[in-house]
Amino acid sequence: MSDAAPARCRIEIKGLRKTFTARGRDIVAVDDASFQIADGEFVALLGPSGCGKSTILNMVATLIEPSGGSILVDGMPVTFGRPTKQVGYVFQKDTLFPWRTVEDNIGYALELAGVPVAERRTRVAEAIHRAGLDGFAKFYPTSLSGGMRQRVSLMRTLITQPEILLMDEPFGALDTHTKLEMHSVLLGLWERARQTVLFVTHDLGEALTLADRVILMSARPGRIKDDFQVGFERPRDAVALRETPLYAEQFQRIWHSLGQEFAKGHAP
Amino acid sequence: MRRRLVNLAWQIAIGVAAFGIWQWAWDLHDKVPWLVPEIFDPYFVSKPSDIFEQFLRMSCLMTPKGDWTLGLPGGFAACIGKSENNLWAATYFTLKNTLAGFAIGVSLGFALGLLLGRSDRLSEIFYPYITAFNSVPRIALAPIIILAFGIGDMSKVVTAVLVVVFLVFFNTFEGARSVDRDHINASRLLGATEWQVTRTVIVPSTMAWLFASLSPAISFSLIGVIVGEFIGAEHGIGRMIIEAEARGEASGMMVSVFVLMIVGVILSALVSRLQAHLLRWRPAR
Repeated sequence: MSDAAPARCRIEIKGLRKTFTARGRDIVAVDDASFQIADGEFVALLGPSGCGKSTILNMVATLIEPSGGSILVDGMPVTFGRPTKQVGYVFQKDTLFPWRTVEDNIGYALELAGVPVAERRTRVAEAIHRAGLDGFAKFYPTSLSGGMRQRVSLMRTLITQPEILLMDEPFGALDTHTKLEMHSVLLGLWERARQTVLFVTHDLGEALTLADRVILMSARPGRIKDDFQVGFERPRDAVALRETPLYAEQFQRIWHSLGQEFAKGHAP
Repeated sequence: MRRRLVNLAWQIAIGVAAFGIWQWAWDLHDKVPWLVPEIFDPYFVSKPSDIFEQFLRMSCLMTPKGDWTLGLPGGFAACIGKSENNLWAATYFTLKNTLAGFAIGVSLGFALGLLLGRSDRLSEIFYPYITAFNSVPRIALAPIIILAFGIGDMSKVVTAVLVVVFLVFFNTFEGARSVDRDHINASRLLGATEWQVTRTVIVPSTMAWLFASLSPAISFSLIGVIVGEFIGAEHGIGRMIIEAEARGEASGMMVSVFVLMIVGVILSALVSRLQAHLLRWRPAR
């Protein structure tokens, strides 16, 4: 970042802990995690599966109650079960409402907020167009492909214009090709609004393609292991980026560190 | 295509054979008694030709003497006026009470299922009562209901409601418990209040379960009404059957049964159409 003034901090996590009890034993899922995310920063939270990265995200989203530590969003502590207004969330699983059409899913949040029908229609139509879903407004989710469903999910969240976006491996269930396509879609959408993003993934290539910064987590118990700045310019081309020498260099640097954690994660 | 034609041919053949045996088997009884059991005696089961004639008389299309009423000026109206529980009126009352019992039973069952399904506390408290009450064959309560609500329409509707309400309740209850947690979370994170979550997520997800119970519910409702009419009624097809039985008139009972069959088929078809429309978002199977 070449900006003179340091950007203000949007998310601040300090000494965050989460322990679960399973079969009578306490399991530490997240241990003493601390980091900050500045305004407009796109941060990927990377780690092997089961390392607690989704747990951190869900604690920020108020879906899981922390066992200790603090989470501040825009300086205000978040409360479990009370979603923060300026925060949008995109699920890993397909959580579209199957009984609503594409347009009614996308317009859902506006409906809840009591936005007048005419304005709703305009905004939904615009969102559909921006996500490349033209012609699918009246379709039900069950008749869409996985990639298209995730586009609808994305727009359902983005239509509320959240300033902070939490994403839990949103493209984890997609095939490689569709995933790349979704990276382009997401980058394009993000360029317009430049939300502050916390993006959970176990895919290093995905993290490098999308993020400004990669926070690496260790295998269980989940701790913050490393914090890398990704030096690519914006706007990015999700496909061409992967062919640059800088990408290879960054990839190797983080891959080494990540590899140690994967090895740990799979040890008996 | 060919297969469908062959199947259709079989269906017609079986129907014709069944009606043929019903119509003429008894004629052979005296000659070959071992081949034709007593149950074919028209005294018990009547026969198709008698049933059809009886239908024409009961529906006032024909006078008891065998003249077509539609040919005589005012003949049809005169015949209808003579019998308060003619076939048309009976069908009307049975149908009306069935639909009323269905509508009330479904609404009540849905509301209760939703309430208990979404509240662990309430479902824990009421669990033993529901289990106990559910073990009682609802039909056993019909005489009590007639006693309490009289022999008018009300008792038939109440019987039908009682039969329908549990069926719908259990379906809704299951549905309300199995609402996808992620759908609720998604809704909350998109800014929904508790009431909005209920209205836009819990109710529509549970609806899918409710709809699955509509087809049996309409049949159950009809059963409830007919049983109520058996026990005590002023009109209705059930009463018609009881009256014909008292006269030892098998053809009259058979006409009523056929009318019930037609009513049942039409009601199920309507409910299936409704169900298909309301669940159109589901993938085609």
